[in-house]
Parts: sequence; structure tokens; C-alpha cells
Amino acid sequence: MPVSKHDEVANGGPIERKRRDRYRRLFRRFVLLAVFCSIAPLLAVGWAINRHYTDIAETRMFSGFRNEVGYHHKIIEMFLKELRSKLSLVAWTHSREHLSNPANLNKIFELINQKGGTITDLGVIDHEGRHLAYIGPYDLMDKNYSRSFWFREALEKGIYISDMFLGFRLEPHFIIAVAGSHNGEKWILRATVDTEAFRSLVENVQIGKTGEVYLLNREGFFQTNPRFSGHIMEKSSFPLEQIHEGIQVKTVEPEPENGRQEPTQVMSLAWLSEPRWLLVVKQDHSEAFNDVNHANYAVLVFLHLSALTILIVSVFISRHMVNLIRRQDQEADILNRQLTQAGKLASIGQLSAGVAHEINNPLAVIMTELQIVVDAAQEVPEMDKAFGAQLHGSAKQIFMQIQRCKQITTNLLRFSRRTESMIETVHLNKFIKEVIGLIEREATTSGIRFSTDLDENLPAILSDPSQLQQVFLSLITNAVESMEGRGHGSITIRTRLRDSAEGLSPKIRVEIADTGNGISTDHIDSIFDPYFCAKPAGRSAGLGLSICYGIIRQLGGDIAVQSNPGEGTEFFIHFPLRPPTELLQQMVR
Amino acid sequence: MNRPKVLIVDDEEIFVQNMSRLLGKRGYEVTGVHSGQAAIDAMENNEFEVMVLDLKMPGMDGLMTLKTMKKLGRSVETLILTGHGSIDTALDAVKLGAYDYLTKPCAIEQLVAKLEIALRNRRTQP
Repeated sequence: MPVSKHDEVANGGPIERKRRDRYRRLFRRFVLLAVFCSIAPLLAVGWAINRHYTDIAETRMFSGFRNEVGYHHKIIEMFLKELRSKLSLVAWTHSREHLSNPANLNKIFELINQKGGTITDLGVIDHEGRHLAYIGPYDLMDKNYSRSFWFREALEKGIYISDMFLGFRLEPHFIIAVAGSHNGEKWILRATVDTEAFRSLVENVQIGKTGEVYLLNREGFFQTNPRFSGHIMEKSSFPLEQIHEGIQVKTVEPEPENGRQEPTQVMSLAWLSEPRWLLVVKQDHSEAFNDVNHANYAVLVFLHLSALTILIVSVFISRHMVNLIRRQDQEADILNRQLTQAGKLASIGQLSAGVAHEINNPLAVIMTELQIVVDAAQEVPEMDKAFGAQLHGSAKQIFMQIQRCKQITTNLLRFSRRTESMIETVHLNKFIKEVIGLIEREATTSGIRFSTDLDENLPAILSDPSQLQQVFLSLITNAVESMEGRGHGSITIRTRLRDSAEGLSPKIRVEIADTGNGISTDHIDSIFDPYFCAKPAGRSAGLGLSICYGIIRQLGGDIAVQSNPGEGTEFFIHFPLRPPTELLQQMVR
Repeated sequence: MNRPKVLIVDDEEIFVQNMSRLLGKRGYEVTGVHSGQAAIDAMENNEFEVMVLDLKMPGMDGLMTLKTMKKLGRSVETLILTGHGSIDTALDAVKLGAYDYLTKPCAIEQLVAKLEIALRNRRTQP
């Protein structure tokens, strides 16, 4: 990853802006997705179901309405029919003479009215329109009906029911007239229907607050008193209906009347058969369908609230997710930066390795030139003592500084190699033998013996061989140096497999024991400390014990030391069979 | 006692020159060459008892030189002297038959000590 890119991200440059746009777009996309995948189907299904059930409810409503009207229609029909039958029966079963007797007529009158008032008067009229007898509250005996429409209709048709009319009494009323026959002469039995009784029959239906029931004749005149729409005997503004069978239910939007817009109404229309009156039952649509509408609104409100909730929740979830993504990206950025850093370190490592190699060569040449000068000085026969002392002093100093430079490059090289851990299968026994091989020749000249006690069945471990080399080399070199100048000594190296005991995983145990000078009790606690060195400056050529310690710990093991000053020192090292997971994760290769 | 014959192989000329001078003063007969190929050629015509070999050289490097010599059946005690501080390559060299190694810069005494070990070994072997 180029260095500039992540710097741009850090500084909020164009890349950061693009990133933010990307997040915004992602957020919008998530929300839109939620809307389309959850809200849209919810609303679609909700509306559809709502519509469906509303339709069902409306149908039920209408059919209920229709039933009510049907029932009412039947009642009215039956009332009229019953009255008609009664009168017909009287006319057919009684003679005109009999009925012309007021007492008899009165008896009939009372019989008819026995079950509640149905007729207000009863009269017998001859074929010329003259009253023969009359029972009733009005003074009509001397009225002649020969020119009245109903009279002629009754004579002709045999039975006649009138519309509401004012007549001689100047009150709205309607009559039922039945024709009888007497010796070939026709006569009429006429009764006035009790308007109050009839009207209450028709109108006494409670249809909510806006409902009304009335009867209209064929010309559209009110035959009863409607609650709101007008008055009895007035013409209704209702458009004239065709006569039809059965009950019609319809929704009507009335024309604006007197500048007022009447609400939509539900109307039920049923024609009576005799007389031909139209039974009208109507109610405000809103009142009739109050429950249905209520339920409808409730469902729609709930539906839209749910949709809104889903929207809000998905906005929050989307924001949360986008934030998660953003955080992941940030972490990825951090990791990338670390990677770049590690790469840089690796490059530096490689660079420093190159530099170290390059520096060693000139240092070597300086060393040889120094030696030549020292040699030459020795061959000068009489050198000035002061000069000679100075020469040798400076030579020694130069020598030591060269060694110091060498130490620096060595450490640099070791540092550069430490950034690359390579895990391989290592057979410790073979490994240790190789390392001993490297040192043995030099050591044996000083009279140091090596002995090994290596467990044959030692399993191979997974570790970093180059770092292990450095550690062992360093420890063994230390052991050798601790016996310097003595002329004898032994170094024993022992390897064992320490079984899995007490729930711990199996480990390899390496013991490196020498018979050297040992470590004093003052120092033993700090020998693994960095910068601690018990050797004179310029003499140490191995890794500091602290670096050893660090490497061993990094490889998942541990190191301990025991020492008896003057007798010897023993190091105990444990290695796991496999390196710790953190190390494995750090692997660059 | 005849002076032991030592071959020094290093591409740094002044180093070879100085080493020859210093070792010469200390009783060795030193031949210096500056490349692996030159070393192989020198081995053709002369018997050397010890070879001081640098690892990093242009052309044929130290390891290659050792390998080639082994193939040609040339046996000589080889001491690796390298500014290349890596132990891997030293191990490789030991596997190829070098008997020891030293890192540059080193004190002349150290070098002499190691040479003597080689010579002792060589002279005790039939």
C-alpha cells in the first residue's frame, strides 16, 4: 500500500471525503433496502388485506341494511294487507243494510280497532256517493264523493287505497275503500287509516342519529313525515324511481341544496305493492359505516405506524451497521499502517544488514593497518620511550574502538534478523550437536570438555532455528568464557521431554551446566536485565543474556538460572512444542 | 621448520596485502588471491595447508568456491573469515568442510590461533 494513501486518509484529504460519501451512499442504500424489502410489502399487503376486509364489512353492512329494510317493508305491507283483508271480509260477509245501521257499523268499527287503533272512521257509501252510515269524528254525513277519484276507482277496481290527501277534513289522511255488491248495486265500505298509527309504524324506527324512514308515492310526495327531508304531503327532492322488485340499496351523493352540500347517504328503496308507495330508508353513509370506517382507520393508522417504526428502526440499524463498517475500515487502516510500518522495519533491517557487512570490511582493513604500525614500531631499535608509550596506548585504544564498532554492527545485524521470524521443525538434539560443533574446536584447546545427555525420544519442536542458534551459541559461549584461563572444565548439556503434568502442555527441557566461575549472589537476580554485563567492556562477544531471555520468552518458553560461585552455573530452559499463537500471527512470511 | 603455506582469498586487495604482510612476519608463507576462481587456479598448482576464505566476493562467492573445490577433490583446511556476520552461512560453510569461522574485523592473534589449530590437525592426520 503506498505510503501517501494512508497519510491522505489520516489527514481528511480527498480520500477521506470519498470514504464519507461512500458511507453515506451505503447508509442510503441500506435504508432503501429496508423500505423496499419490509415497508413496501407490509404496506402493500396491509392495504390489500384492509381493502379486502373493508369490502367484506361493507357488503355485510349493506346486507344488514337490506335485511332491516326488508323487515320493515314486510311489516308495513302486512299492516296494510291485514286492514284490507278485514275490510274486504266485512264487505263480503255483511249486507249493505246491516252495515247501514250505525249500531252495527259501530260494532264492526270497534272490532277492527280492538287490537289498537288502526282506523279513525268507517263509512258506508252508496253507488251515488252518498254516505249511508258513518262512524267517526268528522262531520261527513252530507258529503258526496261521486266526483272523488277514489270513489270511482273503488267502484271500478273493487278495492282502492289512496295516497295521503287532505280531503274534506283538511288533514292528511288516506283511505282504504272496498266495494261491495247489493242486489246488483255496488256500494263502498270506506275506512280512514289511523294516520298516527300508520305513521308511527313507519317512522318509529331508530336508525342512528342521521337515519330516516319515509314513504313516497309515485309522484314523489311524502306520505309520512320524514325526520329531516321534508314534510308530509310535500314533494321530495328525491328523483323519481322506477318501480322495481325487491330491495335496492345504493349509495347516493345528493346535489347541493340551498348552497349546502348534503353528506353521502346510504339509501334503501322498496316498493310496496298496494298502494304503490316507495319505502325509503336512508342514513348518512358515515354513520352507517361508522364501525367499518373506524376499524379501517385503526388498521391504516396501525399499518402506517408500523411502517414508520420499521423505517425508524431501519434508519438506526443502518446507521449502526454503517458505523460498524466504518470502524472495521478504520481498524483495517490501522492494520495496514502497522503492516506498512513492519514493512519499513523490514526494509530498515535489510538496509542495516547491508550497512553492517559493508562497515566490517573497512574495519578489518583498519585493524590490519593498525597491526602493521604496531609491528613496525616494534622493529624501531630505539624509540623514544614517551613516543613508544603513546603509540602503544593509542594502538590499544584504536583496537578497542574497532571492537566496539564490530559489536554495534553485530547487534544491528541481530536486530535486523530478529524482525523476521521463521518457524520450522527443529530437532533440538541435532541442533545442539551442531552448535557444539561450531564451538568445540576452540573450546577443547582451552581444555574444556563437552558432554551431552540427550533424550533420544525427544520430539521435534516448531520454533525459529536462527533465534535458537543465537540463544544456544550465546549460552554455550558464556559457559566457555566462564572457564577461561583455567585450563580445564566441562560443559554438560541435557535434554528431556517434560510430560504434560498438572494440566500443563508438554515442554522440552534443556539444561546447560558448566563448571565455571559461577555468578555471584549479588548479580544473579539481574543477569537477565538489559544493559547488565558482568564482563569487562570489549570482551563480550555473545548476545546479552537479556536478549536470550527475550527470544526464549517470545518463542513461548522460559529460562532460569542456578549458580554456585566458584563451582559453576546451570541454565534451565523450557521450550513448548509449538510456538505461541501470537508469534504465529506475527509472521510476515 | 618450513613455513606453512597459507592461501588468503578476499576481494579487498588492501586487506589481502596487509594480511600477507602481517602473517608473513609471523612465520607463514602467504599467497593472496582476490577471487574464488583465482583461488581454484592457485590450488591447481600449489599445495596449501590452510585457506582463509572470505564469503562475500563478486563472481564466485565463498560457498561456491568451497563447493567447487570439494568437487575437484581439493582438500585444504579452510577458515572462513567474513564481514558477513550471519551464523547461517557459517553453518553452511562448516557443512561444506570449513573447520571454523571468524568475523571481520578480528585481531591478528585470533587469526593466528585458529590457523595453528588447523595446522596441528592437519599435521597430526596422516
